[in-house]
Amino acid sequence: MIEITDLRKIYRMGNVEVRALDGVTLDIEKGEFLGIMGPSGSGKTTLLHMLGLLDIPTSGKIVIDGMDLSHLSDYEKTMFRLYKYGYVFQDYALVPDLTVMENVSLPAMLRKDRTEEQCRKDSFEILQKIGLCDRRDHLPRELSGGQQQRVSLARAMVNKPDILFADEPCANLDTENSRVVLDLFREINEGMQQTIVMVSHEDWHKEYFHRIIRLRDGKIISDGTNGAKSH
Amino acid sequence: MGQKELKVAFLLALRSLQRGSRSSTILTILIIGMCFTNMIFLPSMFSGIGQGITKQLVDYETSNVLITPKSGDQYITDLDATLDLINGMPGVQRASPQYSKGAIFKYRQRVLGVSVRAISPMDEKEVSPVYTKMVAGSYLGEGDTGEIIIGKPMAGDATVRQEDEFQPSLGGIRVGDSITVEYGNGYTKDYRVKGIYYTGWSPVDNAAFVTWTDMEQVEGKSLDKADYITVKAKPGYTEQFIKNELLSYGVGGNGKVQTMTDLLSKSVGKVLQSFAIINMVSLIVSVIITTVVLFIVITIKTLNSRKQIGILKAIGVDKAVIMHNYGFQVIILGILGIILGIIITLVLAVYMSVHPIVTPEWSAYLYITPWDLLINSVILFCAAVVAGYVPAYQVSREDIQTAMRA
Repeated sequence: MIEITDLRKIYRMGNVEVRALDGVTLDIEKGEFLGIMGPSGSGKTTLLHMLGLLDIPTSGKIVIDGMDLSHLSDYEKTMFRLYKYGYVFQDYALVPDLTVMENVSLPAMLRKDRTEEQCRKDSFEILQKIGLCDRRDHLPRELSGGQQQRVSLARAMVNKPDILFADEPCANLDTENSRVVLDLFREINEGMQQTIVMVSHEDWHKEYFHRIIRLRDGKIISDGTNGAKSH
Repeated sequence: MGQKELKVAFLLALRSLQRGSRSSTILTILIIGMCFTNMIFLPSMFSGIGQGITKQLVDYETSNVLITPKSGDQYITDLDATLDLINGMPGVQRASPQYSKGAIFKYRQRVLGVSVRAISPMDEKEVSPVYTKMVAGSYLGEGDTGEIIIGKPMAGDATVRQEDEFQPSLGGIRVGDSITVEYGNGYTKDYRVKGIYYTGWSPVDNAAFVTWTDMEQVEGKSLDKADYITVKAKPGYTEQFIKNELLSYGVGGNGKVQTMTDLLSKSVGKVLQSFAIINMVSLIVSVIITTVVLFIVITIKTLNSRKQIGILKAIGVDKAVIMHNYGFQVIILGILGIILGIIITLVLAVYMSVHPIVTPEWSAYLYITPWDLLINSVILFCAAVVAGYVPAYQVSREDIQTAMRA
């Protein structure tokens, strides 16, 4: 589904060259729950951003379902993100002035292939699935961190994306709330055959992933089920 | 940019205003409203002054068409025949002559130099509304002799000491009192004050009126001459039409014929031009203030929301939606501000119609037309849109990574 070939991202800070990604090659299959792990500065988030079309690689190629993403224009990338991707960020990133329902509906409302009725129905369904239907008219500030992250997950899932990206979604949550959120990710992955790419640095999150790649200094140092398979 | 995108942009804008900082929204609307009021108040005031002066000139000095002596002549002669001719013309409601003579008024210890105007009361009633401005007593009748009407400032107030008076007066003369008038030709006569009027137009308020018959006694002969003749047009007839008629009937041979517009361009034209310059400066300043304020408001909003904007772009919201979100916010703020401005302006207009600005020379109110409101609204709205869209455009073009790191 996703083919990444020799992906590099080099930042220049004055005269210093920082290789955030240094030749990453990777395939991700449909339905996989992939965990990207590694220490701070290893390139986890950079890789996620490259895959999620939030940043441009210095070199290398990302192909999704046979489409080379490097040739897309700015607008095409935006539409690709809208129609094919879902995102969950570590700080929830909900629009503070919109209610839970409006936040969840927002990406669906922009799709040309959805009617207003469908948007409402899809948003309602996904909110039921994450158990926050009764809070749909509340503003984000009226919810706990765990609830906000569940709303963020609902927003990412409302368009039934091909790939769900999550950037340390439990970084701001306690263990109990983290487990609730991760259980939801697992449920979505198993119940809907949803491909998920998640960045995490918590070792105990491993149990949720089908496959884990570990990065260090922008390179993959291991790739396998729960770290069993060495790269 | 489709309908769906615009709908989402509008929703984001509406929610941001509804659920964002209420005080910031209210203050922004207030500033726009005040700028609108400032834009329209001064020009409307000047327009009101211009209109007021124009109306007073027409009402009390020139009427629609003024006939004055030809260059080099002191009077319009052959008055009776000229009046008969004018009054018989199509479109003429009435022609009224005036003849003035300098005089000294004596009342108790007070002495005052005054211009006495002789009128034909019936004719004058048709061209001038002075008879509606009586504050005491009544207007002159056609056959009155020995009776005079005078302006209120000239009549004075008995409760005000002479040294405290704004202008010299007769110290509180009342209707029924007797006044001694010494004309420039030595003729002296005691008149009974029949009425006191107040028009707000200084030259008339500082004059006195007697009947034509009375003035003939002063002159000691039949008066077949006048200082000027004012001509009132019938409704539906233009001043220019009357002027052309007068000229074609040969009245131009006996006097100089000028419409009110001709006279205005000579008298208050320069004043109105000066007002127009002040109006333009006021308009430009108001537009600049509004533009800068809205630019700052939207810039601060966008700077505070940079991360939010980055996230929105990341989840697939097109930059045009983000730009129009802020654009719609400024449009809503602009419209609400303009509505507030219109309300404030209209309240001021109503207040000033009841309490006009009154000076010894003229009185003025706010003169506002729907066209003024529309033009100023459009100008302010355009300024607001530009001020909002510039920062919105800039922030919407920002790279996702840079925005998300903000």
